[in-house]
Amino acid sequence: MLDQVFFVGLLASAFRFAAPLMFAALGETVAQRAGVLNVGLEGIMLVGAFLAVLGAWWTGSPWGGLLLAMLGGAAMAGLHAFLSITLRADQIISGIAMIVLGLGISGYGFRLTLGAMSPAPTIPAFAPLKLWGLAKLPIVGPILFGQHLLVYLALIIAVALHVFLYRTRWGLDLRAVGEMPAAADAAGISVQAARYSSVIFGGAMAAMGGAYLSTAQLSGFVENMVSGRGFIAIACVVFGRWSPIGAVAAALFFGAAEAAQVRLQTLNPDIPYQFFVMMPYLLAVIFLIFLARRSRMPAALGVPFMPPR
Amino acid sequence: MNALVNLLGRSVYAGPALAGFGALFFIGLVITVAGFDPIAALSALLSQSLGSVNGISEVLVRTIPLTLTGLGITVAFRARMFNVGGDGQIIFGAIAFVGCGLLFPTLTGWLLLPLAVIAGILGGAVWGGIAGILRARYNASEIIVTIMLTYVAFQGLAWAIRGPLQESSGIFPRSEAIPEAIKLGLLLDGSRLHWGLFIALGATVAVTLALRYTSFGYRLDAIGESPLAARYGGIGDRATVILSLAVSGGLAGLAGAVEIAGVHGRLHDAFAEGTGITAIAVALLARLNPIFVPLSAAMFAVLSVGVGGLQRQLGIPFPLVHIIEGIVILAFLVATRLQRDAVEG
Repeated sequence: MLDQVFFVGLLASAFRFAAPLMFAALGETVAQRAGVLNVGLEGIMLVGAFLAVLGAWWTGSPWGGLLLAMLGGAAMAGLHAFLSITLRADQIISGIAMIVLGLGISGYGFRLTLGAMSPAPTIPAFAPLKLWGLAKLPIVGPILFGQHLLVYLALIIAVALHVFLYRTRWGLDLRAVGEMPAAADAAGISVQAARYSSVIFGGAMAAMGGAYLSTAQLSGFVENMVSGRGFIAIACVVFGRWSPIGAVAAALFFGAAEAAQVRLQTLNPDIPYQFFVMMPYLLAVIFLIFLARRSRMPAALGVPFMPPR
Repeated sequence: MNALVNLLGRSVYAGPALAGFGALFFIGLVITVAGFDPIAALSALLSQSLGSVNGISEVLVRTIPLTLTGLGITVAFRARMFNVGGDGQIIFGAIAFVGCGLLFPTLTGWLLLPLAVIAGILGGAVWGGIAGILRARYNASEIIVTIMLTYVAFQGLAWAIRGPLQESSGIFPRSEAIPEAIKLGLLLDGSRLHWGLFIALGATVAVTLALRYTSFGYRLDAIGESPLAARYGGIGDRATVILSLAVSGGLAGLAGAVEIAGVHGRLHDAFAEGTGITAIAVALLARLNPIFVPLSAAMFAVLSVGVGGLQRQLGIPFPLVHIIEGIVILAFLVATRLQRDAVEG
């Protein structure tokens, strides 16, 4: 009985911990499918986390915060898109700039606004749904029906993206842009437009992941609170083999690892807790060892495209 | 874009100059938007950092780890191996240095100091080298691995100073003070400036010569310039890939060892935090040329010490430093692009 309670709790919180990774990894999957690498997710998630709290406080609703976060994430990704698509600058270095900028903007902005207020203002946050009492069902209840609305939103977006990428003309075009941009261009597809929209979409999604951290998982912003999730999300794209469903599965795996880590800490007070905190990070490395070699990335990933004149 | 290039008269210096002014403009904007006077901020920044002997010595103290780690970043980035985990390598270098020092307290100084410093270099080299091996053998992204290992290192340090390396009184989360024999002496009484400055300058000379005159330097650039496909396919010069990240980590490890030996005297939480990230901006501003790294490091040290003063004096939040670093990296990208256009016509 205890085991059942344990595993139900574990799975339920696996979704909770996975959600920010899902958003960021889904967005990055689309961007990479179009051929643009954004290693700056960490910075965009941080800005999203900060803007979500700021927007929620301004508008009095976590939805206002989510919207502001998405706009901010889209703006940062737009800058990355301009540098890597229009200027054809080094995408990795541009992404590193986003990491550093995001760290700065979120910390600077927070300390100038909410961080300077005393007493600290209460931030309106998302509450978990209680779907028609279904959350009370044994076992499946808390797992399937007791999550934050944003968790369901992430899952819906994943399915929608799957349909979009593999079942629509636009999705086919987008994949062509990431595999053979020259051929796509010759077929009349605007490579630059497809890439811009994918990267900006990816930025808005990463920011939603950040917003989830600060207005659903917690209610408040802490400097550097993303703590490596932006990079784990990139790893999820690789583990998910550049497919939306795969990215969600990988995110769930890391969500479960995080949930297990927290529980194992309390169950094993004799073992220094730092070893449990390390676990998800080490798992990401171990999985890269086993999976990176076999994965096939989009052929034109990271390669700028110059339209023929 | 093309009009802009023509306007600049295709001079190779116009691009960087434009990027520099653009960067200054945006930095001013960030300060103004927050409601501060940018001119007052700039003058306060300079007076806090360069306006007194104490300020200048603090700048030099900060220049030391930034130079060493910046050299490490330069080595890795030359091969387009993006080491973003400098902080983890610094921590491992520091742990190895302190561990070695506390393990053999009876050894004489002239023997123990080099031994402990080598341990520090090796600690960082192992931490960076792991990422190199995983990249070379399994094609695992060094960006993700170096960052993940940095988070592991943070936890490792937190455990070490509350566990095996904690001071015997067991009150604070910090190690025992290191033996006097492995502390670096002060260069200037009444300041914190220590002999590590010469270690940083020596390392600069060594890295510059190594990159210019050895086959290692040549092979680094060969990897850096090889087509993306070859690199990601895992073909090519595996030994150099591993070595580039090991050397990069070793220099960061040296920075950690020197920081403990010269400034802190023992391990504790959060020493030299964020150095690995700032070092990326340092290396890029130096345009990945090791000889310019100390100068670039000194500029970021002025920034760091100066903004620390701004925070105390005007209340401008310290994370401004990271915004400026980000803008500098973007300026580097734009400058490189404009220069390329000017050269290619």
